[in-house]
Amino acid sequence: MSAEPLDEAVALRAAEWFFLLQSGDATEADRQRCARWRAAHPSHALAWERAQRVGQAFAQLPPGVALPVLGRARRRTAVRALALLLVAAPAGWLAVRQTPARDWLADHRTATGERQALALADGTQLQLDTASAVDIEFDSAQRLIRLRSGAIHIQTAPDAQVPPRPLRVATAQGTLQALGTRFTVRQEAGHALVAVFEGAVQARPAAAGVGALVLQAGQQVRITRGQAGPTQPVAPQADSWTRGVLHVRDMPLRDFVAELGRYRPGVLRCDPAVAGLRISGVFQLRDTMAVLDSLPQALPVAVAYRSPYWVVVTAPDS
Amino acid sequence: MSSVPTAHDRALSALYADHHGWLLGWLRRRLGNGWDAADLAQDTFVRLLLAPDGTPEKQRGWQLDEPRAYLTLIAKRLLANLHRRRALEQAYLETLAQLPAPLAPSPEQRALLLEALQQIDAALDGLSAPVRTTFLLAQLEGLGYAAIAARLSLSERTIKRYMVQAMARCIVHMP
Repeated sequence: MSAEPLDEAVALRAAEWFFLLQSGDATEADRQRCARWRAAHPSHALAWERAQRVGQAFAQLPPGVALPVLGRARRRTAVRALALLLVAAPAGWLAVRQTPARDWLADHRTATGERQALALADGTQLQLDTASAVDIEFDSAQRLIRLRSGAIHIQTAPDAQVPPRPLRVATAQGTLQALGTRFTVRQEAGHALVAVFEGAVQARPAAAGVGALVLQAGQQVRITRGQAGPTQPVAPQADSWTRGVLHVRDMPLRDFVAELGRYRPGVLRCDPAVAGLRISGVFQLRDTMAVLDSLPQALPVAVAYRSPYWVVVTAPDS
Repeated sequence: MSSVPTAHDRALSALYADHHGWLLGWLRRRLGNGWDAADLAQDTFVRLLLAPDGTPEKQRGWQLDEPRAYLTLIAKRLLANLHRRRALEQAYLETLAQLPAPLAPSPEQRALLLEALQQIDAALDGLSAPVRTTFLLAQLEGLGYAAIAARLSLSERTIKRYMVQAMARCIVHMP
């Protein structure tokens, strides 16, 4: 039993740090202060580690099952509160996490593992990655692509209208404006990730009073509602999914498994014991099963199928 | 864990000898079956055996004024836990039954999932309904604070406070 008693005040502080750093609003100074707090006492480090584990425990639960089960409550007040919420929740929420109800209503969407290429009315080439959804809203003032979930790759075309309308991509955290260009946008839970391959893109976070940032080819940036930046070099082959492959070099297995998991329905998990191993190669996205089967030849790992929808990459003898 | 019986062990043995049979009967009447009752009676004494040193009754060497009242107090708590676990299991099975076939988990996966759900349920026990609901919506539905605040008609500040409260509880109680 690892039930070491933790002081409640320490747990509360750890929880505050956890959500601050998770929010994407944390500054470098916040991060350093959090690191100092963790180092100040073994109980701080323990509480911090538990917070991470709690976050992971939730991340591994299929919400379609976990929410109705945990949401059913014993107290009458809770039952009523939940019943109201469930009525208010979008229809179909129980079915599958990969396709939230709003995505079913989107103009274009792909299922998990599917990719799709579209030619828009103005000649812009749009590619949808796995489990992605977009709305296309072109009018006389702008060409707007609303990214609802997943990731897209855009190769812009000059607008035939005079004057040319700007091409914009709206994400939950901010808007991007293409300046004659090829780029990708990926919508994550708390942020959007933009990578520019040709030309330039202007990124404008949603919060009022936050300045825009111009990204040049070869740069990428994480956008939260309150911040764009700092810019980083685009990882080579970051757009490899547009060619149907996952091309990685020296990537931690943890990240690789997370990437691959985006192309598979169900749960794909990486055991922390092997998470730090490095992997390089070109992997076909249309057959993720074959990719998983090939892992034990490349690395000292085993692939455990608890079901076709629940796969864990582990150490060989566990 | 020495092999020489301590005063603590001897006091517990006496307690067991004098009251185990009675406790078993008490539990059987409440549960209506023998095997659950036997488990819980056993668990009740295991709790005493593993009680932290700071427990006042342990410090007094288990010299209890009302031993049966004390034992039923612990047994009632275990009984409530058992009912909660059963209710969760029931909700779990009902939810699984509604899932489309390709998404239905395998038996191993079912067991793992149930275990994870029970751990979280136990950790969240004792939180008020809005705190619990807030945390579940954020962690499972991925809703932002603003969206949860709108749904529950609470301020974002309150939602933020609830999140911290629930997470702190999980930090203390999750294994």
